[in-house]
Amino acid sequence: MEEVLAPMPGNIIEVLVNVGDEVKEDDELLILEAMKMENPICAPADGTVKEIKVKEKDVVEADQLLVVIE
Amino acid sequence: MIPYLNMKEFGKPLRDSQVKRAQESVARMNEVMNEIEAEDQRIRDFGLPVDLVHKRGQQTVWERIEYLVDPGMFFPLHTIYDPEHEESGSTGVVDGIARISGKWCALIGFNNKWIAGAWIAGQADNNLRVTDIAKTLNLPLVWLVNCSGVKLPEQEKVYANRRGQGTCFFRHAELEVSGVPILAGIYGTNPAGGGYQGISPTILLAHKDCNIAVGGGGIVGGMSPKGFFDEEGAEQLIDATRHFKQVPPGSVKVHYDETGYFRYVFEEENQVLDALKEYMEGMPAYDPRFFRLSEPAEPKFSPSEIASIVPYNQKAGYDFDNVLARLVDNSEHLEFRPGYGPEVYTGLVMIDGFLMGAIGNRQGILPNYPEYTNEYNGVGGRLYRQGLIKINEFVTQCGRDRIPIIWFQDTSGIDVGDIAEKAELLGLGQSLIYSIEQSKVPQMVVILRKGTAAAHYVMGGPQGNNTNAFSLGTPATEIYVMHGETAAAASYSRRLVKEKDAGRSLDPVLEKMNDMVQHYYDKSRPMYCAKAGLVDEVVHFEKLRDYMVAFTNSVYQNPKSICPRHHMMLPRLIQSQIVTGLDRPKKEE
Repeated sequence: MEEVLAPMPGNIIEVLVNVGDEVKEDDELLILEAMKMENPICAPADGTVKEIKVKEKDVVEADQLLVVIE
Repeated sequence: MIPYLNMKEFGKPLRDSQVKRAQESVARMNEVMNEIEAEDQRIRDFGLPVDLVHKRGQQTVWERIEYLVDPGMFFPLHTIYDPEHEESGSTGVVDGIARISGKWCALIGFNNKWIAGAWIAGQADNNLRVTDIAKTLNLPLVWLVNCSGVKLPEQEKVYANRRGQGTCFFRHAELEVSGVPILAGIYGTNPAGGGYQGISPTILLAHKDCNIAVGGGGIVGGMSPKGFFDEEGAEQLIDATRHFKQVPPGSVKVHYDETGYFRYVFEEENQVLDALKEYMEGMPAYDPRFFRLSEPAEPKFSPSEIASIVPYNQKAGYDFDNVLARLVDNSEHLEFRPGYGPEVYTGLVMIDGFLMGAIGNRQGILPNYPEYTNEYNGVGGRLYRQGLIKINEFVTQCGRDRIPIIWFQDTSGIDVGDIAEKAELLGLGQSLIYSIEQSKVPQMVVILRKGTAAAHYVMGGPQGNNTNAFSLGTPATEIYVMHGETAAAASYSRRLVKEKDAGRSLDPVLEKMNDMVQHYYDKSRPMYCAKAGLVDEVVHFEKLRDYMVAFTNSVYQNPKSICPRHHMMLPRLIQSQIVTGLDRPKKEE
């Protein structure tokens, strides 16, 4: 089980995966807007998207859980 | 050849999802390049039709270059450069880095389709840029002279000034004094300024119909004016012009038979070019194996994939290391101080078997960084204390080891505010400029995407006139002192407060702010950058490596100083990781 956390506070501007999607390491999962930049948040390992804890336009804090990959 | 340096593979293959997501971005960038290429074609079509040039017994400058240069080895620069908004939309010269008879040179020729290759507004600056390349890279300069002199109706934009057209002749002398040869193939009528274009190079190879002269028929006729023209004066002028049409001053009869300025005279256009090729064979150059540290190799990942990595959207992040891995031999490198100053990449790479330094801005979020504050987090593209220190160290060591540098800019500037000031970022930025200047190694810069604020200078920008040979843009390039929205906020925020407090409508101020945003956008796009000379050429991402190979071979053709590979410190510093030192070998049991 891999938990993907927000590296810094920001806004979720795009969610690129759905629950059940197969992802490879480094696949982009969502886009976090922080410090005026749109930063891709990538899968830390191969797996299946088990849970998505955020939706577009959500404001997130640092270390907030974003996605769970199994 | 046994590779001297034990380089490591880097970079990752593109994922299908990445390619799919980049499709729109790639399409937008193709539109940008189509617009630039259309402007290039418009300039080529401008002026005298090609068949009329041929009827005069001449070839166009592009045809001459095609014949002269080794196939596929012309790397054009300043293709659509037009800083003075000249009516042709160009500077009237065609130039670039070229390989002729296996030797690299800076090549420049007059566009004889437009007012017989006249000096036009903006050309002096273009010519000085080309001589800058010859000077920085210690390359021969090859001229295709065909110059009718000053475009007289606009002489005030051309002739005088500190960096006017005559400056180029001093520059020719400067190159020759420093041992850089200048070869000239001379065609057509070259009076006055054209004459000096003809006489100032080192070796003059003439076509039979050419001339070079202090003045032409028209100039001689105007030498003793009454202050106005009347019928008597007109008759004198007609006589003088007819005479000089028959016997142009400074023809081969004078400058081959009498003065001996011309080394050779040729009947055919291409014979002049053949002679230039022969002379180029004799230009000073090391055999490439003298400097190569490994066999040349293509990158493991294709440069054509870069367009799917670097987003057109200026705010979108990407992996710079993945870009670099598509530009360097074997997709291998030796990274300098990985982990320290994570917002920038510094490392050694091979280009066509030659050792080069590479420096570039990394993108993305940098949690728990910079180390000098907990008030905010770092973000790639911006420069912080560690990054500036790392680049300073790397550039200094490249200078010591005589390793040329290729920079890649995608920067939103240096960190700002009192915290950044206390961290000495202003001073470290200028220290980097000092490091670059004292390194005295030739450098080129690619403005991969954003070139912003002072970071545009300190990241190897073209302002380093003694080190930067040329700069390239891409279809994603934007260059401005700050983003338009930031500039509008800085300029109008107090005004907004005033209007609000006075109870007046904000609309007029907002209109001005939005105009400013649009103005910044329009004046920072790739087309504008190329037209204004903010970069020397805008190229497709997939062509970047070709220009890097041309630059690298040019630098190593005849460098002014050498560091033997076994005397270099930088590879040793990298392999020892500077601080930790090498592990002691384990004792055999």
